[in-house]
Amino acid sequence: MQIIFDNVHYVYSSGTSFEKHALKGINLKINKGEFIGLIGHTGSGKSTLIQHMNGLIKATSGKIYFNGEDIYDKNFDMRTLRSKVGLVFQYPEHQLFETTVYKDVSFGPKNLGLDKLEVDLRTYEALKMVGIGDDLIDASPFELSGGQKRRVAIAGILAMQPEVLILDEPTAGLDPRGRDEILDQIAKLHKEKNITVILVTHSMEDVAKYVDRILVMNNGNLVMDEEKVKIFSRYKELEKMHLAAPQVTYVVNALKEKGIPVSTDVTTVDEAKNEILKVFKDKIQKI
Amino acid sequence: MIRDITIGQYYPADSVLHRLDPRLKLSGTLLFIISIFLFDTFYGYIAVTVFLVSVIKMSKVPLKYIMRGLKAIIVILLFTMFFNLFLTQGDVLVRLGFLKITRQGLYSAIFMGIRLTYLILGSSLMTFTTTPNQLTDGLEKLLSPLRRIKVPVHEIAMMMSIALRFIPILMEETDKIMKAQMARGADFETGGVIKRAKSLVPLLVPLFVSAFRRANDLAMAMEARCYHGGDGRTKMKPLRYHRIDYFAYLILLIYMTIVIAISVIENRLPSFL
Repeated sequence: MQIIFDNVHYVYSSGTSFEKHALKGINLKINKGEFIGLIGHTGSGKSTLIQHMNGLIKATSGKIYFNGEDIYDKNFDMRTLRSKVGLVFQYPEHQLFETTVYKDVSFGPKNLGLDKLEVDLRTYEALKMVGIGDDLIDASPFELSGGQKRRVAIAGILAMQPEVLILDEPTAGLDPRGRDEILDQIAKLHKEKNITVILVTHSMEDVAKYVDRILVMNNGNLVMDEEKVKIFSRYKELEKMHLAAPQVTYVVNALKEKGIPVSTDVTTVDEAKNEILKVFKDKIQKI
Repeated sequence: MIRDITIGQYYPADSVLHRLDPRLKLSGTLLFIISIFLFDTFYGYIAVTVFLVSVIKMSKVPLKYIMRGLKAIIVILLFTMFFNLFLTQGDVLVRLGFLKITRQGLYSAIFMGIRLTYLILGSSLMTFTTTPNQLTDGLEKLLSPLRRIKVPVHEIAMMMSIALRFIPILMEETDKIMKAQMARGADFETGGVIKRAKSLVPLLVPLFVSAFRRANDLAMAMEARCYHGGDGRTKMKPLRYHRIDYFAYLILLIYMTIVIAISVIENRLPSFL
């Protein structure tokens, strides 16, 4: 178990009229190498939850363990935690500040106190991972396009070589192609380096395509925590929380209601296509 | 840490003070600030304290929350008190090496401390109970006579309201960028002065960029809605005095009379403190 949340509560601005109970007793276990989707409507506590994972927010009560160590222990080094749990915020391009792409990406590894060679190595590797070519390495990050900026910012986190990568809506505001490129690269990373990925998103299609397990937040509570197929089969409950299942879930469920024997365990368009074709073939064979 | 700065923020609550007309609160604050500089003895400050405490009670803003505003000026406060305490000439009370504390110095340090504290408390109480919109509406109305001598009153009020509106936004932005850089191992808390100043670069550059971006967006949005300054502009909710406001003006008048009376009497009587 890599990350464990034990009854974590968090209250914002306690004691004033702005007080908000953002997390209400979260219990959660995350294993190494998982690809997890975190969904929930705006204000459900997703962002607060992920900021607990690298110690940016301290829980009002409850305990959090990382690799078996209590992160609120006096002897625990928060900086090590932050280097191992990489958090990519929403609109990460807004935090670019250096004069060149290279310098910006190397900010993280430099802060880790690595030597020049290692910093160089990690920076180039991270930029390669997100598909930023050598021609842009000395460009100013402010001259890049929106999608390129986003990738440079993500590279800034990857260069720290985290064991856990958390992304808060990494594709918000990107065009479909930019979105697929970024998510494909992350999925590749997950596969090749076996890093744990937690993806916060509003896009059910993205969740369906990439993740294995889904966490659903509602009103500060973790209301569902299951495999994605099981979660999507509860789409009626999801709708009550202002969420939805992927489009294909609705299609196969509608087909099933009409008496066509499709399996509703499909989540992506490709899977649905194959499933429907299979049903048709079976029918033809019977005839 | 960033959430501790409460000066200039609005605190939503349902109190008499929140319902009062902003013009009254503005002039009331100004009069209150004048009143705390009127005397040099303790008697006057008793009246001021009674007034301030009852207004704070009425505002329904938690005392703890108001006090947090003082954190921002604690350094200035201590500096002022320190200089007043040691550098005022007069009857020597204590001598510490080359430093000496005089009776006059002691009094002026205490009074300065009280004045600065009350100044901050009084003015932040105004912003706690008045939304930025009300505040600028009130200011515009109060300053409107100056339009005759070509002072761009509406523009000044608009700039002020935008500035106030942006305080919480930029604060939130700072918090976000700080966290984002901390996630990349940035360290804002340890090290010497130079190291700390340098560590602010990753915070300030994105903050400026975002401030300009937001300003640009806002200007565009205002133009898209045909904003062209104050000429011929009407208000959806024009300010109107109600009975409670007249009553509050009366209280303010009584308060000022009492305070001025105390300061006049004080000056006549031989100082026995």
